[in-house]
Amino acid sequence: MRLKILTVDDSKTVRLIIRKTFKPFDCEILEAANGVEGLAVASKSAPDLILLDVTMPVMDGVEMLTRLKADPKLRNIPVMMLTAEGGRDNVLSIAKIGIRGYIVKPFKEDAMIEKVSRIVDLKPVSESPGKARSILDPLDLLVVEDKPAILQQFEQGLKHTPWKIHGVASQGEAIDFCGRATPDLVVVSLSLAGDSAFALFRILRASLKTKFTPIFALVVKTESEAQAQAQKIGFTAIVTKPIDMADLESKVAKAMNLDTSKHYFRSDGEFLVVDLPQNCSNPVLAEAAQYLAPKLAEAVDAGHSLALIDLSAVRSLHLGIIKFIVQATQSCRELTIHLAIVGSAPLIAEFRSFEETRSWSFHETIDGAKAGLKQQAQSPADAPQAVEA
Amino acid sequence: MPPAEALSATLVRDDLIRALSSVFSTSLGLPVRLLEPAPPGRFVAPSPATAPVITQVVGSVGFFGELNGVIYLCFEEVFARLCTGNMLGLDGAEVLAMGEEPVNDAIGEITNMVVGAFKNGLCDAGFPCKLTIPTILRGSNVSIGPISTVRRHTFGFESAGHLIEADLLIKAAD
Repeated sequence: MRLKILTVDDSKTVRLIIRKTFKPFDCEILEAANGVEGLAVASKSAPDLILLDVTMPVMDGVEMLTRLKADPKLRNIPVMMLTAEGGRDNVLSIAKIGIRGYIVKPFKEDAMIEKVSRIVDLKPVSESPGKARSILDPLDLLVVEDKPAILQQFEQGLKHTPWKIHGVASQGEAIDFCGRATPDLVVVSLSLAGDSAFALFRILRASLKTKFTPIFALVVKTESEAQAQAQKIGFTAIVTKPIDMADLESKVAKAMNLDTSKHYFRSDGEFLVVDLPQNCSNPVLAEAAQYLAPKLAEAVDAGHSLALIDLSAVRSLHLGIIKFIVQATQSCRELTIHLAIVGSAPLIAEFRSFEETRSWSFHETIDGAKAGLKQQAQSPADAPQAVEA
Repeated sequence: MPPAEALSATLVRDDLIRALSSVFSTSLGLPVRLLEPAPPGRFVAPSPATAPVITQVVGSVGFFGELNGVIYLCFEEVFARLCTGNMLGLDGAEVLAMGEEPVNDAIGEITNMVVGAFKNGLCDAGFPCKLTIPTILRGSNVSIGPISTVRRHTFGFESAGHLIEADLLIKAAD
């Protein structure tokens, strides 16, 4: 079950910082702006921990704490004070009421996580079950590279994604960044001065906040010794220069266990559309193929029975594409889904040049394929498929 | 408990420098330095009518107990937005898109932390007191005029090329 942490603070800024601080962990952050709201949320949601400010309007933190400790149902919820009210006497008088910790603002996010993890068992998001993140979700990628041209390549090469690239030039800047925010993934250039790339890796791994963050090593393709060293030390993946952005995207998706199905599958009214990209390499096809069965099952579950594979972007034919279509055809047949294939005239000509695919039916436009599928659906039950597998 | 007069100008100054440096480095990732002598700020002294119009965001938090007082921190709006972005991990465009409210809230929290850290120093020096909730004032070329029965300390600080004006009004408890 997800941990629930209640932050009670009249400052929305502090509540946002708390939310950001615990983003890498499997926590639900509950919010309240004063003691009255805090008690109500605590009663309703039974949080595992309360982070409590002192000076607040309506009801302050000391009164909320006193009432909490007087309530048999709430008294066992651990409370950590998070306040600008320090000073020996203040801390001692609040400690007497019963708290598990005291953090005086300003605080470092690392220190907060460290202290909270002594009270509750923080688990990183990736280890917990739940809805997987999608390739189309925003991510924060920290790229530590001292060469501006390479940083520019990252920005340009990934601009079609919703990912935000944060480029920094040194180990120190990277540490500062991680102090302020928690990146979803870090790419560290091994060409940073001296041993700083490996030192940075060790620092990030030692911090509870970035302990589980995937860290990629960025290295020139021919520098096999550095690559071996990066693998040995435990970098999540190696990205080689010159950078193949499609390969990088794929590695990011794999490292973060992102759901990439939205790259290939979409609903278009009553149709399930499978889009194969221009770079239709075997790894790409393997990635798309793993979603075939569940996506077709989802379509059937939603009451749809029409699917089309759109090859319009594919430049040239190879065996992997043929295998993918055969697999899709078989899956569609099992689920009684009508399937059509769309491709450009040159690609269709390539299909026609092979004995095995000569008899397959194609459409040159999406609209044509849709019309054909609708016609098939109105025909008797054993309507022909595009492919006789 | 020492008499209120024991609170020297040096103690006030050093405590405020410590408080501001701690908050700026920890929460904003920015260095801050005291400007000596303090430059003629807009906030601590009325601006002439001919002065260009600059929007200011002023945070204030009071403290009460053995000592009563209030501290005002005056930021130019552009710097207030930069501080907000640093605090929340957002870039300038994102902060701008959010409007004034998050900036006000962030400046309120920065002021709360600075005055809290300053006040905690007073507590440990034998002047226990507590904080009030922050308030925010927005305006152009605003300044304050304290009454004559309070001790006033004004300072100018520089951070990331911007001026921060601090105005402390302190009165011993009756």
